[in-house]
Amino acid sequence: MASKSRSLPLTKRGLNFEMMMWLFTRLSALAMYGLILVAIAGALIMGARTQMNMADVLRWGFMPNPNHVQSTDIPALEPWATPFWAVTASLLLIVAVAHGVHGLVVIADDYIVSANGRKIVRLLSIIMMISMTLIGLYILWRDILFPAG
Amino acid sequence: MQVTLKVFRYNPEVDKRFRYETYTIEAEETDRILDLLEYVKGYKDGTLSFRRSCAHGVCGSDAMRINGRNMLACKTLVRDVGDRITVEPLLGLKVAKDLIVDMEPFFDNYKKVLPYFINESPLPENGRERLQSPEQRARFDETTKCILCAACTTSCPSFWASDQYYGPAALVTAHRFIFDSRDEAASERMHIIAETDGLARCHTAYNCTLACPREIPITKAIGELKLATITGKVE
Repeated sequence: MASKSRSLPLTKRGLNFEMMMWLFTRLSALAMYGLILVAIAGALIMGARTQMNMADVLRWGFMPNPNHVQSTDIPALEPWATPFWAVTASLLLIVAVAHGVHGLVVIADDYIVSANGRKIVRLLSIIMMISMTLIGLYILWRDILFPAG
Repeated sequence: MQVTLKVFRYNPEVDKRFRYETYTIEAEETDRILDLLEYVKGYKDGTLSFRRSCAHGVCGSDAMRINGRNMLACKTLVRDVGDRITVEPLLGLKVAKDLIVDMEPFFDNYKKVLPYFINESPLPENGRERLQSPEQRARFDETTKCILCAACTTSCPSFWASDQYYGPAALVTAHRFIFDSRDEAASERMHIIAETDGLARCHTAYNCTLACPREIPITKAIGELKLATITGKVE
């Protein structure tokens, strides 16, 4: 009776870029849930129940950066402009942009079947992903790395 | 009861575009849609073309869209779909004539996953068959039931977008052999289905599972293949 191990080593299971990105999309979705929960907990601590409206909570939840909630009633936002929140927001930004852009590539692959067409779309998507991430990181870290005055 | 049967018609030698023809037929509620089509062909319009073979849900020849859903005409009763019935060819494959579609892209994809048993090892000493336990057999039991009717693949939005996508039926077949303890080409198949037009094109729409006349849990099987790619476990 066939009883040998039916476990394939890493190189023999078809774990290519395509499947790695498939896994990344699943894991990054979970990571986004975790990061957003951390941000919403932060919003509650900084006074979301009385000093923010729903839009502000969402803005902080998806991009926990004081610049994004300047219209709230929270008297002092400066204490929240810390490296911790910059790192949290950066992680969220990187994960969300990569997740979203990969989603676009997957949808594009459904409709573009030529190898060259796919290469062009992937190249443009990677350029878009890197540009959006760099712009976002600049905004998130500008005030911490280059304080005004 | 009287049944109104609206049938998709297209003859590439005559018609510039498709049209629908409506037939009013006296039928029992236990009649099958295939019986209605046979009646139309036999008594009303002999030019109506459709595939059929066993007429008992085993050969998979007569998969078609009945009131918008992929079904086997031989397994669908009038009482299942009501007295106003629209019959159309499968989506995503080129119509050859009336309800007949060109199945070549479907079978091309099927062939990609090496749909046959591969074992190069010598036979057991007694020269008889390679045995496996009931548990090992049960592992891929569901995916042995595929009859290649294409109801799943042609209900899949990813396949509608591109017939380069292997499609659920090919992946079900890959599952059937990859998880077979006697087969030795799991790795080869895993590499094939991990290509761009393979597993990654499945967006878990579940249409295939709903369409399968054999009730194979197709989306679950594809999920097991995805997991096997990550974990390497094919047992």
